[in-house]
Amino acid sequence: VRPPAEAITSLGWVVGVIALVILVGVEAAIVYAAWRFRATRAEGVPLQIYGNTRLEVVWTAAPAVVLTVVFVLMLGTMQEIGASATAAGGPSGAMRIVAVGSQWWWEFRYPRGGGEVIGANELHIPIGTVIDLDLRSNDVIHSFWVPELGGKIDMVPGRINHLRLYAARAGVYTGQCAEYCGLEHAWMRITVIAEPSADFGHWLDAQAAPRAPPTGAAADGERVFLAAVCSSCHAIRGSGAASLVGPDLTHVGSRLTLGAGALRNSDQTMRAWIADPQSAKPGVLMPQVPLSPSDLDKLAVYLRSLK
Amino acid sequence: VSVAAITPFVRRVGQATSTTWLRTVDHKEIGILYIAMGLIFLAIGGVESLVMRAQLATPEARLVDPETYAQLFTMHGVTMIFLGAVPLLVGFANYLVPLMIGARDVAFPRLNALSFWLSLFGGVLLYFSIVAGGAPDAGWFAYPPLSDRPYAGRGVDYYVMGLLVNGAGTIAGAVNLLVTILLLRCQGMSISRLPLFVWMTLVTSVLILGAYPALTGALVMLMSDRLLGAHFFSPAAGEPLLWQHVFWFFGHPEVYIVILPAFGMISEIIPVFSGKPIFGYRFVAGSSVAIAFLSFSVWAHHMFAVGLSPAENVFFSAASMLIAVPTGVKVFNWLATMMGGRIRFQTPMLFAVGFIAVFVLGGLTGVSLAVVPLDLATTDSYYVVAHMHYVLFGGTVFAIFAGAYYWFPKMTGRFLSERLGRWHFWLTFVGFNLTFLPQHWLGVWGMARRMWTYAADTGWGPLNLVSSIGAAILAVGVALFVWNIAISLRSGAAAGADPWDGWTLEWATTSPPPPENFEVVPIATSKRPLWDRKHPELRDPS
Repeated sequence: VRPPAEAITSLGWVVGVIALVILVGVEAAIVYAAWRFRATRAEGVPLQIYGNTRLEVVWTAAPAVVLTVVFVLMLGTMQEIGASATAAGGPSGAMRIVAVGSQWWWEFRYPRGGGEVIGANELHIPIGTVIDLDLRSNDVIHSFWVPELGGKIDMVPGRINHLRLYAARAGVYTGQCAEYCGLEHAWMRITVIAEPSADFGHWLDAQAAPRAPPTGAAADGERVFLAAVCSSCHAIRGSGAASLVGPDLTHVGSRLTLGAGALRNSDQTMRAWIADPQSAKPGVLMPQVPLSPSDLDKLAVYLRSLK
Repeated sequence: VSVAAITPFVRRVGQATSTTWLRTVDHKEIGILYIAMGLIFLAIGGVESLVMRAQLATPEARLVDPETYAQLFTMHGVTMIFLGAVPLLVGFANYLVPLMIGARDVAFPRLNALSFWLSLFGGVLLYFSIVAGGAPDAGWFAYPPLSDRPYAGRGVDYYVMGLLVNGAGTIAGAVNLLVTILLLRCQGMSISRLPLFVWMTLVTSVLILGAYPALTGALVMLMSDRLLGAHFFSPAAGEPLLWQHVFWFFGHPEVYIVILPAFGMISEIIPVFSGKPIFGYRFVAGSSVAIAFLSFSVWAHHMFAVGLSPAENVFFSAASMLIAVPTGVKVFNWLATMMGGRIRFQTPMLFAVGFIAVFVLGGLTGVSLAVVPLDLATTDSYYVVAHMHYVLFGGTVFAIFAGAYYWFPKMTGRFLSERLGRWHFWLTFVGFNLTFLPQHWLGVWGMARRMWTYAADTGWGPLNLVSSIGAAILAVGVALFVWNIAISLRSGAAAGADPWDGWTLEWATTSPPPPENFEVVPIATSKRPLWDRKHPELRDPS
């Protein structure tokens, strides 16, 4: 299989070159006419030509022929990339991952055994496997778009759409919510980590596990987490916090970014994010929770420890 | 520019009173009111876009907050389409159509005045939102559920009410122009002799009558959802995509509503400044009818990513591609008109030729957006922003500038300054391309529309900076235009009745024309009655 993004790109080149040839031709004709036929001092009436039916037929038919070629090429590419957002699918053996858009973050649910593993804002996929992404929304319309992996398909509340992804090479791919979805549409970024199957399997096993029991400052941090309002929105499996209003934080320490791509994940940014989420991502639905500096430290240590 | 400041130059001195402009039912004065309204809102929408370009010039900037940014792009879109482009084009049509067909006025002068005041009041209502709790912030196409409760605030109510009122004016205006063109043509002015600007106005009026009621219906449903607790678009009991279908059933013909009259202006200006009749009159006129028909069956190309069936996507893709054929026909005919001509490059012609040069790129990227897989890669990105501005700015606004330089002498009796006009053109041409060309790449690389900022690690900074610098140059160009109007009204060179050696009937009367338009009712001896008078040996055979 060829990755959908490659199929789209090669179609883009064909259409782009055709368009460029036409563009250059028309611009050249404009420049030629403007220069060759500019009024000079020699006055007089130019020849009055009212039209030419044969020419009209030619320049009606010629673009129609070019467009027919583009149309036929398009049908082939649509077939190849599975541009049917309505049907679940992809070839047999496709891995089905559920992606849910919410203001302004992403939830991903991976199948494992009979159940599922929940992650947020960072999509891991095995390379060389066709992924059938099952797109849903919790609130308004979002659109899932990772340009290097494929086109975009909207997440419409009340519907389930599908997008086929395929990564041939391991790497980190970034994307973006493409449909305006409210204040923080801009900081609704997507990180896709494509890795070899075995690595993906290990990662999924680790994500499936509950959080490791915390020790030291981290244990204090967990108490802060449960005592403050954090647990009314966030789940940390193993801690007792189970709300899925906001992103699942069971393994938040393992993620590359915070706030759906607003900050790189580090000890400093974790603390800064909890202390004042509005400053990094104005409008984010996460409230600023009043915490003492020492509680803040412990909470940040705890969350960073959740690898 | 206040209305009062223009008054003395269009009315005969001594006739004007302070309430003349409020009471007028003269199509020429109403036309000028529409044009003044359009220019003022064009300036407001332009300032909104400049704030956005300043915000986006550098990554992670904090010049405005996300809420302000959302209000800016929403108001920019609504303003430019409904309060800028449409009133400007309707204004030119109001002024020119009766003159071009040798009529005394439009068919329903009082309705004409009502249309204008409704359009303006709709705009005022929309802007009143700013002091009534915040401007609308759900984008100009206001997709529910985001535009519905609880996500959007009061602003969207003003969006709904403002566009309902504005739309009522636009619909009434279209009825008026349609009846005028069909019934008030002077002797000899058969449909096949109509100036192409009038032809385009005719087609546009039909489009308005087909498209605007759909918008009205959509707005009433949205208002019912928001204020009465209905569920047309709610995901639980209704269907959010219903809005998109109805909105774009209006929205795509709307694109042609604001481009066909522009085509009409270009089709008047290029022949006159080339010294040749339009090449293939019947094909230029007929292709517009084709565009009008097709425009009602392409709306879902705005929706390729929402999850329609492949069959639906393929149908709308084919229909959208087809529109390129009649559009291409026009471009080829304009070029053929220039070929072999004797081209005078005064400012109207500069803008007309500039129009073709940039519009072609917008047309070609439009075809790429009709190709489903390419649309899935580029829709809702800056590629679409670039495409749309190549069509609406490079197309419509360039044509409006061309038309402004061309017909200003008719409306005021004075020329706009050629020297300032040239500066205006070149700054606009360079600034426009610098602003919007880079956005094609930004979109392909992954920059979505309507982002209030973007991360530094995306690498989008340099091209965004180029785009913002382009916008600044563009702003200087447009400021020169405003300045040009201001000084030319007072001290522009006297123009006379027929300053460009024109052919259509508006040049057969004084500049500005008397209230009754023509002292003697003219007769259309051909498509080019004035040409026949000037060149009896080379009479236009049509």
